[in-house]
Amino acid sequence: MNVKKLLERVRLFLDADTQTQLHEIRSIRKVLKALKEKERELQASLEHEKDDEAREALQLHLEVIYAQRKKGVDRVLQLKEALKPEEDILQRPLD
Amino acid sequence: MLKKITLIAVVSVLVYAFWVSADFTEIAAGVALFMFGMLCLEDGFKAFTGGTLETILRKSTDSLWKSLLFGISSTTLMQSSSLVSLITVSFVSSEMITLAAGIGIIMGANIGTTTGAWLIAGLGLKVDIAAYAMPVLVFGMVFVMQKGKTLRGLGYLMLGFAFLFLGIHYMKEGFESFQQSFDLSAYGMTGLTGLLVFTLMGMLVTVVMQSSHATLLIIITALSAGQVSYENALALAIGANLGSTVTIVLGSIAANLGGKRLAASHVLFNVITAGVAIVFISQLAWLVDHLAALLGIRADDYLLKLALFHTLFNVLGVVLLTPWVSRLEGLLIRHIQFKPKGIEQPLYLMPEALETPLTAVNAVRKEVRHLFDNAYGLLAHGLSLKRNTIDSQESLSEAVKYTRRIFPIDVEDAYEEKIKSLHNEIVAFIADAQLRESTRLATEELYVLRQASRDIVEAVKGMKHLHTNLSQYGLSSNLAVRERYDQIRLHLAKLLRELRQLLRDEPDEVSNLSLDALRLSSQKASRKLMDELDEMIRHRRIATSIATSIMNDEAYVTDIGNNLLDAAATLIGRPVAGAAEQQLVLNDEEIAQLVDKESVADETSRP
Repeated sequence: MNVKKLLERVRLFLDADTQTQLHEIRSIRKVLKALKEKERELQASLEHEKDDEAREALQLHLEVIYAQRKKGVDRVLQLKEALKPEEDILQRPLD
Repeated sequence: MLKKITLIAVVSVLVYAFWVSADFTEIAAGVALFMFGMLCLEDGFKAFTGGTLETILRKSTDSLWKSLLFGISSTTLMQSSSLVSLITVSFVSSEMITLAAGIGIIMGANIGTTTGAWLIAGLGLKVDIAAYAMPVLVFGMVFVMQKGKTLRGLGYLMLGFAFLFLGIHYMKEGFESFQQSFDLSAYGMTGLTGLLVFTLMGMLVTVVMQSSHATLLIIITALSAGQVSYENALALAIGANLGSTVTIVLGSIAANLGGKRLAASHVLFNVITAGVAIVFISQLAWLVDHLAALLGIRADDYLLKLALFHTLFNVLGVVLLTPWVSRLEGLLIRHIQFKPKGIEQPLYLMPEALETPLTAVNAVRKEVRHLFDNAYGLLAHGLSLKRNTIDSQESLSEAVKYTRRIFPIDVEDAYEEKIKSLHNEIVAFIADAQLRESTRLATEELYVLRQASRDIVEAVKGMKHLHTNLSQYGLSSNLAVRERYDQIRLHLAKLLRELRQLLRDEPDEVSNLSLDALRLSSQKASRKLMDELDEMIRHRRIATSIATSIMNDEAYVTDIGNNLLDAAATLIGRPVAGAAEQQLVLNDEEIAQLVDKESVADETSRP
């Protein structure tokens, strides 16, 4: 094991909080992706739906998904803000 | 189906019997009044549960000797062991006293009742309890109409006593002609056959008369008139004791498990006492002679000697059985288990599931799901919709709109049979699981599942109130009222359909998040209904009293919905719920903001 790798391991050990936050960002992004998928499905259903009542229900669900996604994105931004000095790590692909 | 057929058969037989016999009508009315009296007594005692009476009762029956003394003194005062026994069944049924204390009182009552024989034989007196029925009934009704809980409880107690008195009175009246046909002198017998035959006769007469006092009165009169021999009179007295158990058995039909166990103990006690008395009749007769001589009773005063015999053999029974009371209690609890057919049994809570924390959690999760399914069926029927209608793709608006009748279901009964019983089992199983070695995660999951089970119970409790008003106003001829109730029913029916669908699907990352849409939809429906009601009240299109009833019912529906959503969140959540998913769940404030936004959008889109 070279010195660089060893130092990296020590840093990770000493900085468990950062790891937790990174893990949280990854998890939220995964849910956001699933929500986006669900949103697409609902949009497609909405386009084909003729019944007013059903359309209203779909619209409502879309509103909720929008609010949830916004909440998720805000949380990710907040976490990123807290991790600013670790910018280099965040550049790595998360999914 | 079988229940319905039995009911029709019983009603048909009764109608026929009423048609052919006026006496039978009187007897049946007596039985009905008697049993109604029992129910009133139980209601009355329940009003005092947790209060002063309970404390007094507990203190007077906290040891076997105290219970015995309580039974002796109360029966001596009331002059009716049947009445004391029946009241004791009510005490035990409403769990105001323990079964052991109840057994003590019953044993004491058996001794107390022998004072009646002394009174009849010695003084020729008898307290006529039926004479008190009418004023007690009137006072009882006056108290029942009061608002205070204690006064109402007292009123129910008085009504209970009055109806019991009246019931016994009508039964006696009805059997008067029957009583006259018993000419005992024609059946004089000696030896073992005589003993057994007269015991049986004494029993039958008491069953018919519903009072061992009345039988003793006949025995003493017959003995004094020389219609029966002293030996046969002793056997009749034993039979009278046995016959009195029928009264308590009859009373326990309307009682719960505790009451039934107590009735069984009474039967056991009297049968054993009678058995011993029959076996040792000669020794007892010898003892009576000697004691009579000691007490200064003349050798030919058979009336007092009969009273002495009656006391002696009841005391003998108490002395013989007192050391076995706690064992008898255990035996009765073990062997008399009351599991009515309709009671729902758990499907997954097997003792083997307790072996590991994971299997315990899985079993409870499945059982809570089972409970949810039961609640779903009950709530659907409570809304007067079939399960199939909600499960299908049928239009719920139309199903609600074209409802022609409110399902006449007994929500209270269904709750006890399908929900409460299962919830009890779940809670008990979780308690068992917590006694064993577990992991932190399993303990937390069990806690959450118990809460989910409780949420489901609360949802069904809400339906109990809602169904009462739905039955009254659900199909109102006032279109405005009917429409509002249709809205309430539709709101809950839609929620049930969505939840059913969500629970049926395989859970994914966003299953739990889908519940937010249901919460929003529920709150929006609630807001819409309230706004409409406000407007209707303003324009006087609906009476305020009905509007407030609808508002109350809307609150019940909101509570039912919230409880169901909370339970569903637990059931949908994967065993290890993702923290990220939880973070995206909208809180109450965020949902309220969306409701506001939706309302504004609705306002602006209106022409």
